[in-house]
Amino acid sequence: MTRRILIIDDEDDIREVAGLSLETVAGWEVVLADSGAQGLARAAEHQPDAILLDVMMPGMDGPTTFRELRKNPITSHIPVILLTAKVQSSDQKRFADLGVEAVLFKPFDPLTLSDQISTELGWE
Amino acid sequence: MDAPGQENLSEALDRLWTQFLPLVNERIAILEAAAAASATKRLSAEEMEAAKSAAHKLAGVLGSYGLPRGTQVARELETMYSCLKDPGALLSAHLASLTAELRIIVETRK
Repeated sequence: MTRRILIIDDEDDIREVAGLSLETVAGWEVVLADSGAQGLARAAEHQPDAILLDVMMPGMDGPTTFRELRKNPITSHIPVILLTAKVQSSDQKRFADLGVEAVLFKPFDPLTLSDQISTELGWE
Repeated sequence: MDAPGQENLSEALDRLWTQFLPLVNERIAILEAAAAASATKRLSAEEMEAAKSAAHKLAGVLGSYGLPRGTQVARELETMYSCLKDPGALLSAHLASLTAELRIIVETRK
């Protein structure tokens, strides 16, 4: 089934690799945003099936962006998966406590990223 | 034999690697400058913060390009720059050694 995924990440290379992976391997439609503010606008406009959200971004970081998404009735229902290069268990617990659907870790395998997302969100 | 999608992905990843190699090199140059400054005991707080950030970004992406050892080395550098207050001679040598290894890993990606 075709899905639409919004990727919010300030790092061009990560954004492009993730987008390429989801388009090429899964055939999903990808929408990109390079900041939390742009991500909020694109989420409202494109109504993606899920959002892949970077944690560490200048300006509005991932957790703040997530809270803003949840505050807005237009975007509050969209599942959010955090993407982070932080591997310490204290960070992992802090992210899980935010209430996101899942936390995935960088570096991801481009070949299996879509499978990981599907598994976390219970997609067929 | 690779599946068609896998083959396309591999080729596309190679193109992205070429496109973003200057950015990767820029980040390694930051690490090299920090390691050099550390060796002469002139590593500033700003250089240390920049090195930590560069290592963090490299750790997050190199594995996606099939360079898991690159991620491992970059993560070790990130941890060192996060914890160090005043790197001594021994640690400075280790910073230089890890940074040199990272450079080789990137330059020898096929």
